[in-house]
Amino acid sequence: MKILIVEDERSLNNSMVEYLTSQGYLCESVLNYRDALQKIDLYDYDCIILDIMLPGGSGLDLLKELRTERKLDGVIIISAKNSLDDKLAGLKLGADDYLTKPFHLAELSMRISAIVRRKNSLAGNLVKFEEIIVDTDNSEVSINDKPVALTKTEYKFLLYFIINKNKVLTKNTLAEYLWGDNMDLVEDFDFMYAHIKNLRKKLQQAGCGDYLHSIYGTGYKFSYR
Amino acid sequence: MKLFAKYNRVNLTVTIIIFLVGSCVFYFLMQYIFIQQIDEALGNEKEEIITYARKYGKLPEIVNTEDQYIDYLNIPGPATPTFKNTYVQYARAKEWSRQVQFGMAVSNNTFTIVVSKPLEENESLLQVVVAITIGMIALILLAGYLINRAVLTRLWQPFYNTISFIRGYDIEEKAHPAFPKTDIDEFDLLNENIQEMTSRVQADFQSLKEFTGNAAHEMQTPLSVIRTRLELILQNEALLQKNADQVNDIENAVRKLSKLYQSLLLLTKIEHSQFPMADLVKIDEVMQEKLDEILDIISSKGLHLEFIQYQPVTVRFHAYLAEIVVGNLLNNAVRYNTTDGWIGISLKSGQLSISNTSELEEIKEENLFKRFFRDGNTTEDGNGLGLAIVKRICDAAGYRLEYSFKDGRHTFTLLF
Repeated sequence: MKILIVEDERSLNNSMVEYLTSQGYLCESVLNYRDALQKIDLYDYDCIILDIMLPGGSGLDLLKELRTERKLDGVIIISAKNSLDDKLAGLKLGADDYLTKPFHLAELSMRISAIVRRKNSLAGNLVKFEEIIVDTDNSEVSINDKPVALTKTEYKFLLYFIINKNKVLTKNTLAEYLWGDNMDLVEDFDFMYAHIKNLRKKLQQAGCGDYLHSIYGTGYKFSYR
Repeated sequence: MKLFAKYNRVNLTVTIIIFLVGSCVFYFLMQYIFIQQIDEALGNEKEEIITYARKYGKLPEIVNTEDQYIDYLNIPGPATPTFKNTYVQYARAKEWSRQVQFGMAVSNNTFTIVVSKPLEENESLLQVVVAITIGMIALILLAGYLINRAVLTRLWQPFYNTISFIRGYDIEEKAHPAFPKTDIDEFDLLNENIQEMTSRVQADFQSLKEFTGNAAHEMQTPLSVIRTRLELILQNEALLQKNADQVNDIENAVRKLSKLYQSLLLLTKIEHSQFPMADLVKIDEVMQEKLDEILDIISSKGLHLEFIQYQPVTVRFHAYLAEIVVGNLLNNAVRYNTTDGWIGISLKSGQLSISNTSELEEIKEENLFKRFFRDGNTTEDGNGLGLAIVKRICDAAGYRLEYSFKDGRHTFTLLF
């Protein structure tokens, strides 16, 4: 899986490269408009992560260029502008998704995974981890080929865990993923733990290995270990 | 006291004093001249009597008229004529008069000759002078009043126009004030300076707003760096084990900061009227979506949700802003509620009410929509911008937002 990261802030760029590389993506990164244009002309990517405000030009122009050349690379716009107009303009020009800074790397990974699944629909939109298969088209989960009934929240957690496998996900990250801005309303994470506890129980009852690990009271990690 | 009333008071007092003094002087001057004249007439009469007596050796026959009285007294009189004022009986009536007495010898008899002329005309002169004085003072007062009413109200009109502009001035207005040219220098000077001042204030305000917007915007990238770097640090489990709490705190701080700047950015955008209110928004659907998002949280807090009324309502709004308004009001109702509390939602044509129980007291009106205001007793998270944003949006959309507190229940009502 080849990913191009276009972001002028070097350390943010590096963070994304580091995280996504460790998830098995092949990452290339550029810091400005000119280099990005060159890369886009020369190669095809599964997904391009595009900042809008770049030295030398706008990310939206790159997107236009990409679409006029009829390239089908998936594009995620990342922008500090939480402006609806930018978002709409980006999506209208053919971006697949839009993330507002500051975002979680886990969330970015989630969005990339969704786009990559859509682009390479050969796999039938399946996300796999050991004996777990998640069918993201129908929001169905099966373990050892037997369907498991999960609630909406449990399903969302499981998908998030699998896509960000081997990564420590903090309570904050998880809560924000689930409730977005509303997470401020949550006084404590007890009731989030309840969801996770139920998920773990259901997985174990279906004969699934114990992959969900609690990490020092800070968060969780989904891994084979 | 109005400027003119004050000016008028001084002006009138001085005028009346001048008139009174002037009238007195005028009266005495007139009287002096009059007495001079009458004395001259009496002197002429005296000369005539003396001339007659010398020529014929006897006094002339007395012919008393209405305005002259002559009497010969058979006693010695003063050598030089003496003048005095006294009452004298004339043919018809007794009158205040000017009198001259002088002694004279005729055919070896000494006589005192008395000639009197009435001062009646002098009295009528006094009356005229008093009447004129009173009349003038009355006229001045009347003129002052009429000028004040008719002319001054009109003269001061530009001033009152300027005042009413200042009273109604809203710094958010982008249009510069334009005052019509008056033909009075002072007013033009005032208007010019107000115009200059408002331009300057507007420019300052504008740059301040832009600064907030830009600062909020530029802040997001460094925040992204902090957040993503932190996520990478987290992956080092040995490090995490030692610093779990710190990492958590940093994460929370980043999230709060990011939220805060997003709120400020939103406020700036609303103030720049960057959101056209052109969408037809189904408030009931927005409410439903929002409730679906936080139903988990509501039930985890044991809150009882009651739909007092729930009718489909469509209003002209901005779709995104409508979500924020409904979301913020609902979030507050959840956030500041008590455990096992109550949330009441009433939605009907032209009106949306959200009520909730809370341990917090009634919010004071001056604090209600104040930015960053947080009740001293609250322990909940929040940046104190939620209601300020709702208020701003409602203002921009032209809808009214009302707050009431009754029986421990806070109610926010949005009138479309």
